[in-house]
Amino acid sequence: MGVRMSDSKKRTGKSQRGISRDMVMMVVALTLVTVIAATLLGLTDKVTREPILQAQREMLHRSLQQVLPVHTNSTLDETLKIKTADGIRTIYVARDAENKVLAFAWEVVAPDGYSGSIRILMGVLPDGAVYAVRITDHRETPGLGDGIVRNKPWLDFFSGKTADNVRWAVKKDGGDFDQFTGATITPRAVVKAVRKGLAFFAKNRALLLAKTVGK
Amino acid sequence: MTDALNSTMKKSEILADGFWNNNTIFAQLLGMCPLLGVTTSAVNGFWMGAATTIVLLGSNTVVSMIRGVVPRDVRIPAYITVIAAFVTVIGMAMNAWVHEMYLILGLFIPLIVVNCAILGRAEAFASRNSLLDSMTDAVAVGLGFTFALMLLGSVREIFGYGTWFGFPVFGENYPDFLVFILPPGAFIALGFILAGVNIINRRRGVFTTAEPGCAPGKHAVQDA
Repeated sequence: MGVRMSDSKKRTGKSQRGISRDMVMMVVALTLVTVIAATLLGLTDKVTREPILQAQREMLHRSLQQVLPVHTNSTLDETLKIKTADGIRTIYVARDAENKVLAFAWEVVAPDGYSGSIRILMGVLPDGAVYAVRITDHRETPGLGDGIVRNKPWLDFFSGKTADNVRWAVKKDGGDFDQFTGATITPRAVVKAVRKGLAFFAKNRALLLAKTVGK
Repeated sequence: MTDALNSTMKKSEILADGFWNNNTIFAQLLGMCPLLGVTTSAVNGFWMGAATTIVLLGSNTVVSMIRGVVPRDVRIPAYITVIAAFVTVIGMAMNAWVHEMYLILGLFIPLIVVNCAILGRAEAFASRNSLLDSMTDAVAVGLGFTFALMLLGSVREIFGYGTWFGFPVFGENYPDFLVFILPPGAFIALGFILAGVNIINRRRGVFTTAEPGCAPGKHAVQDA
């Protein structure tokens, strides 16, 4: 405290007219610190930008492997863009060695998770049945809602389901999908999002097949 | 005077102090937000601790280097800028090289900035001590913090999911004991851990010396 008091005394003495030396020092010091910090951030951004994109691509690639049947093409490179009501949707196409279309995959977002959006990658066969579903990003409660990631049987239940061979709702709402103990909102949001994804497919199936089959 | 007093401190003293006697979690009860938020598993605790340790090392180093240059009145904004820069760097680095962990801890990484344990070390230690001592302090405090996070994460993961670092401990059919994964379990487990720490300290005949809140530890001599 002693130092500070003498500081301020000195300042009132000096700063009656104009700017004191102390104040200049403060501005210089803070400016220097921020400039150095900004430089550091800029450099780091430069170094990490490529690896971050690479890591995201790898992540997507791994998720695609899980929602698509065994295929031989590079799904990340064969994509289709379809215009929908909420923007442009990217569709990944899986083909076998004879260039036959095996399945399509795309991402759907459930905006009504328990805490924020849930991003879901879904793979669908040309006949409209779900091949597999994986959660790629979520903020659900550990131990409750995160069952959508940890509960394998629950995720596997989606496989083989079409728009009309199952009731697309959790059991509490009269559907066929399990909810979890203490968590209904999360599975409900996922089921709804996947159902919407299938509706999107039904609407665009002819277009997708026309664009991919035989090409 | 402060410098003269601290210069007599041995490195081993700084290490013991930062890691155990004045441990951020066990003695000072600082940094509760990351502690309770991310410790649902041992591996989360480890990475959060590692990120905090690196930030601490960076900020203590820089703060010690600029301690004679930055005027007293603007030291806090200067320190916070330094800390925020390091946190952002760590965030970007984790995003690039440990991407999956970044997705899990994502929300808590930027919050390291406001972990008052870090500003506390800058203000209470690094701004008054030599470069080497400050770096030693950062490593000790960081390891102590990591240890605490990993311990709590281990307890919660073992009892909550029956696994440790993802490996089954009680066999495959352990029924999830959810309360340990949910926030109340963090408080319950922490309470028992703190009781254990107090028992150990009493046996050793030492008492922790921390002061509450963001106040500096025992080696910070107040100006008043």
